[in-house]
Amino acid sequence: MQLRHVFSELVQGLRRNLTMHIAVVLTLFVSLTLVGLGLLLNSEADKAEQRFGDLNQIIVSLCNENSRTPQCSGEVTDAQREAILKVVDENPEVSGYRVETQEQAYDKAQELFSDDYLAKLLKGLGPESLRESVWIDLKERDEFKGIASEVGGLDGVYSVRDNRKIVEPVFKTLDTFRIGAYFIAGFLIFAALLLVANTIRLAAFARRREIGIMRLVGASSLYISLPFLLEALVTALFGVVLAGGTLAAFMQFGIKERISEQIQFLPWIGWPDYVEALGWIAIIGPLLTVVPTLLLTRKYLKV
Amino acid sequence: MIRFEKVSKTYPGQARAALEQVSVDIEKGEFVFLVGQSGSGKSTFLRLILREYRASEGRVYVAGKEISRLAGWKVPRLRRQIGTVFQDFRLLQNKTVAENVAFALQVIGKSRSQINELVPETLELVGLDGKEDRLPDELSGGEQQRVAIARAFVNRPMILIADEPTGNLDPNTSIGIMKLLDRINRTGTTVLMATHDAGIVDQMRKRVIELEDGRVVRDQARGIYGYQN
Repeated sequence: MQLRHVFSELVQGLRRNLTMHIAVVLTLFVSLTLVGLGLLLNSEADKAEQRFGDLNQIIVSLCNENSRTPQCSGEVTDAQREAILKVVDENPEVSGYRVETQEQAYDKAQELFSDDYLAKLLKGLGPESLRESVWIDLKERDEFKGIASEVGGLDGVYSVRDNRKIVEPVFKTLDTFRIGAYFIAGFLIFAALLLVANTIRLAAFARRREIGIMRLVGASSLYISLPFLLEALVTALFGVVLAGGTLAAFMQFGIKERISEQIQFLPWIGWPDYVEALGWIAIIGPLLTVVPTLLLTRKYLKV
Repeated sequence: MIRFEKVSKTYPGQARAALEQVSVDIEKGEFVFLVGQSGSGKSTFLRLILREYRASEGRVYVAGKEISRLAGWKVPRLRRQIGTVFQDFRLLQNKTVAENVAFALQVIGKSRSQINELVPETLELVGLDGKEDRLPDELSGGEQQRVAIARAFVNRPMILIADEPTGNLDPNTSIGIMKLLDRINRTGTTVLMATHDAGIVDQMRKRVIELEDGRVVRDQARGIYGYQN
């Protein structure tokens, strides 16, 4: 197969339909950016959830050696711990629980704040400066007062945190943005699909003479549709590159240099999350153009 | 080379068959005229050979293969054995004479050295040497049809199908085209030509197959046109 011919067809095709291709690239660019943004917000929600627990969770911190409260007289004893877990276990509001040891808490904190100023603080402290905790999953989101007050009064309990009070607005905001991003992306993707379909129709019409001759002299279906597929890939590539660049700028100037400086109590997404989102849009973008092209070349080219 | 066995073709949504119980046998190297009124089924006959359509009934053999059952992806291979020429030339206006002919080889993946060898050779055969770099609209109708014939023949097909190749040409030019088709036929290529040109058919004295309402009403060796337009 003569690649030279295929590529000259590709360049010609892109040039002939330049305005349509630009329209496809731009809609793809915006929709992929929104999809990427949704994915980044997803990662951010995961990170925040890891840090603060699920919205259906309350976290019971147990005393450590430095705790000095009415219920704490030094580190929690085995007997106290047993009593606390028994109460948790028997409470009807609880669907499950797990215990996080001081070492686990330390490891998690190191991971979450790896590139953060808190990391420096952590280094000076050992695991024993953190608290062992019991993460309690609730059956019902709103029925937690019973267990909270019951456990809260036991010896060896340092505090009962209901993270929802702090985190809920954050989660809600993230959710709103994420759903909004996906919603708009959905419409734009639909528009992109229509544009792709129209572009192919125009291109097939513009090239109907060549295509007719190619069929007549026995060019293979693949050969005939290859320039169309390559056009689809090239437009997708442009869309992905533009979206990737925009998301990178968002990461650098939005997250790294602004938001994460201003809101330090939350762990923020980093470059690995960006790479993951980029991977997804690098898959979605070409799919959005190549799949309709494959379907429509069959229809319009009758190959 | 081409065999129709009781072939019928009815187009979807039409009550009357375009071809009905057509049985014809065309040997390798024959020159055959296909005549008949408009709508008599000539085009359908040609299209069945190209497998643009499948026969509704019966069997169509081309080069020994039953093509009604040919898988879709094998159709291009079949078409590489058949050259096709039309009344309206169907040249690419933005390509030169040589490029138009080379295009047919490029798109089936022939190497550049093969193209460089076959294109000039074929242009010489059709009498267009020296005009390789002209664009189609710089040529006369007869010359354009020669380009189309060169394109159809450049891959040395076993069969050449010509659908009214002289329909747009004046009588003198038509004679030139017929001489060319005759020359191609003498290389061993089977030529099947649909035409309305009584003068040409009468002059050439080749086999004539006449279709009427989708049926073969005459199949005559060394025949004449035989009816009034």
